[in-house]
Amino acid sequence: MLDPDELYWQFKERLNAVAGECYRIRTAQEAERFLAGLLQEKEVKDLVLVESPLTKAGNMIAEFESVGIRVYSESLREKAPVVGAGVTELNWAIAELGTMVQIGTDVNQRLASSLPPIHVALIQTSRLLPTLTETLKTLHSLPQIPGFVGLITGPSRTADIERVLTIGVHGPEQFVAIFVDEEAGEED
Amino acid sequence: MANSEFKDKIGQALGNSTLRGALGRFGEFYLTARAKVYEGYDFEILRDKVAETKAYAASHLDEMLDQFEQAATARGAKVFRANTGEDAKRYIAELALQNGVKGIVKSKSMASEEIHLNEDLIAQGINVQETDLGEWILQLCGQTPSHMVMPALHMTKEQVADVFTDHLGRLNDPDIAQLVKTARNELRAKFLEADMGISGANAAVAETGTLMLITNEGNARLTSTLPRIHVFLVGIEKLVPRFEDLEYILQTLPRSATAQAITSYVTMVTGPTPVYLPDGTIQDKEMHIVLMDNGRRAMYADEKFKKTFQCIRCASCLNVCPAYQLVGGHVYGHIYTGGIGTILTAFLNAEKFAENPQNLCLQCGKCAEVCPGKLDIPDMLLELRTRFATRKGLPMVQKFALDIVSNRSVFHALLRVAAKAQKPLTKGAPVIRHLPLFLSGLTEKRSLPAIAEVAFRETFKKLPQELPQGLEKPQGTIALYAGCLLDFVYPKIGEGVVKALNDKGYRVVFPEGQSCCGAPATYMGDVKNAKKSAMLNIEALSAETVDYVVSACPTCTHALKDSYKAMLSGDADWEVRAEVLSSKVIDFSKLLQELGGFELGGDGQGLNVTYHDSCHLKRKMGVYKEPRAHLNAIKGLNLIEMKESDRCCGFAGSYSIKFPEISAPILERKLQHIEDSQADVVAVDCPGCLLQIAGGLDQKGSKVKVMHTAEILLNYHSSK
Ligand code: SF4
Repeated sequence: MLDPDELYWQFKERLNAVAGECYRIRTAQEAERFLAGLLQEKEVKDLVLVESPLTKAGNMIAEFESVGIRVYSESLREKAPVVGAGVTELNWAIAELGTMVQIGTDVNQRLASSLPPIHVALIQTSRLLPTLTETLKTLHSLPQIPGFVGLITGPSRTADIERVLTIGVHGPEQFVAIFVDEEAGEED
Repeated sequence: MANSEFKDKIGQALGNSTLRGALGRFGEFYLTARAKVYEGYDFEILRDKVAETKAYAASHLDEMLDQFEQAATARGAKVFRANTGEDAKRYIAELALQNGVKGIVKSKSMASEEIHLNEDLIAQGINVQETDLGEWILQLCGQTPSHMVMPALHMTKEQVADVFTDHLGRLNDPDIAQLVKTARNELRAKFLEADMGISGANAAVAETGTLMLITNEGNARLTSTLPRIHVFLVGIEKLVPRFEDLEYILQTLPRSATAQAITSYVTMVTGPTPVYLPDGTIQDKEMHIVLMDNGRRAMYADEKFKKTFQCIRCASCLNVCPAYQLVGGHVYGHIYTGGIGTILTAFLNAEKFAENPQNLCLQCGKCAEVCPGKLDIPDMLLELRTRFATRKGLPMVQKFALDIVSNRSVFHALLRVAAKAQKPLTKGAPVIRHLPLFLSGLTEKRSLPAIAEVAFRETFKKLPQELPQGLEKPQGTIALYAGCLLDFVYPKIGEGVVKALNDKGYRVVFPEGQSCCGAPATYMGDVKNAKKSAMLNIEALSAETVDYVVSACPTCTHALKDSYKAMLSGDADWEVRAEVLSSKVIDFSKLLQELGGFELGGDGQGLNVTYHDSCHLKRKMGVYKEPRAHLNAIKGLNLIEMKESDRCCGFAGSYSIKFPEISAPILERKLQHIEDSQADVVAVDCPGCLLQIAGGLDQKGSKVKVMHTAEILLNYHSSK
């Protein structure tokens, strides 16, 4: 059995290397509180959020609103382009590459993760997979390959002008991964 | 031969200092960064997998296409097979028309540029927007890409700022972060308005109907999230059989393309997913997949070019190409650039567009070494060259020269005359400023050597051939194949070879009838003369009677070992003999190693030596450790590695004559690395490299000497 701590550290190192932020937190409630603080620090005033087991485990929406951040979990087509952040729960994380795997068949999952300048990706620590090989196998063992699978590794980037690396083109400028150890019930 | 219009383009590119600066910096960064990002991965295994997977798909193409169509259709996508670019354009244009499409966002797709899709759609009054930053910049200023992965590599931030200023009607500062932000805002609006998205795909999985897109900017994610119609324009070479095969593409493409372990985004789409319609409702989008042939099948059906299916468009072959690094992508004249681009252009656009750029290949083989698809690009380019030459014939001067070189008695007589005639010019010095003969007039950056007064074939007769003490009779017999340069310009190398092999207990013979190996003809595409040389030498060397055939020129060795066999395969009279010769031919350094290596010699006096790898020796024969081992066996000799030791010196046979303007800066870079190493001597294993590097150093007035490894060994025998 692979040690989750080791996988996590490998993941974090890789993600940090490509300018992604990475945190690991014990419970869903602590995660909410931590995140509320982090978003305040980043001066986020409003965000879009796609409800999922991890956002429901405590009450993430209430927590954010309590610190004055407006949360939209509906009409995302209008809101996602104008808010300061998007919060979604993702499905797997690949330690080998510092990559997160998103099943994005739900259009809101895609909008909230690709339009706002900050994407906060929540995930259960138990969802760490060691390798890309393992990940493709896992995807293929689902009843069918999901309509949309996104692999996300850090923020959006370009080097198209003079080969100078610049963060944040069409996608998020900041990517924050939050690993939660406590199991929040099955994701559907 | 390159025409004058093409030569002008090269001149312009070489004179563009922005371009050269950007390309040069990138070239240097790339190799190190690439090596680093493959650490912990076995590139050879990975590329075997890529090649295997793609080769399988190529040889089961119809099956793959059917399977893909079935799987994608079952998931709700509409699949259209386009035989030609015109078919593809018509399909997409009609689709846009029927659906009242006003705005299209495009994610980078080379296939769409290949067929000039934008023009057609714009003519219909549709607003078509490239969204990849580099592509967008080029679209705004009406330019074509200069690199397959980094399309606007040739532009400075100032130029980009000017383009934005013109387009947006407000001043843009040449600040890269700011420019990127501007692009984000401008294009975001287009994304939100677009009714249709068009993208390519980096891979298509036959088994599941999945399309995979690899991007960094995130435009492919938006393209597959926002518009209500998504069209994938996919070349049929993108097919892989199984879902798990995506791994090989994913592990190699980002690493080879941009030296990233993985790009920011990888998007896998299998059938339509829901989108918001303008009225706010959510519904499955329309998804269309256009599988495009447009000349591809003909390319894969051609035995010599079928491996192009294995190309994953990573552009690493461009990044390591010494010629591309100097001239950039625009001289190639079309969308696809570099060596692989020349081949693709020949089949997917028109053959005539490849006629000039194919000449740019130095045949150094560096691209083949890094290609994740295991394509032998130089070999394919040579095939193109040969086809052009066969069909159209070679220009008079070249033809004349090759006819002479391939005619042993005439050539050798001429060389004898030249050896005498040059005397007044050389005043007895070993290096002259002007070579008589047909190589004249191109010595600007390089002095050329004199023709030896006594050819090696004469010297050879007087060599003592002493065997080691106590050895009654020789261990065996080795035929020495000299090659033109060794025979007529550098006879000392031959002496070194004979001495080293005598020391190993072998007798060396020099088959008299041998002549030019035919490489000059081969590399100019002249099959007739190349074959003539092949037969002449097979006959002369009669390999059947000796234990080895040795050569100290890797280009000759490659000709004798590989080219003859390929050239004469299917020819009942010669096939077997070519095979025998091939099995006996071996490079000098390698043979010496096989026979036990150079035994400790040297006077313990310090000598700093750096080693230059010849392209053919390292990459055609995999020999690079052996000569270093010989040198290291010399007491007192200090071997220093120079930077980029296996980078081409720019000689490449007739290349330095065809493109002196490209060959010279390549040589210049080599000379710089040599001088930086602070060595006293550069060791080489190829007389061609010796000629090139010695000429360059002489012209520069450098004190560094160039010697063939065999010559260095010879110097140390006596002091053993
Ligand atoms: S030929 Fe090889 S190196 Fe060149 S783009 Fe294709 S896969 Fe990459």
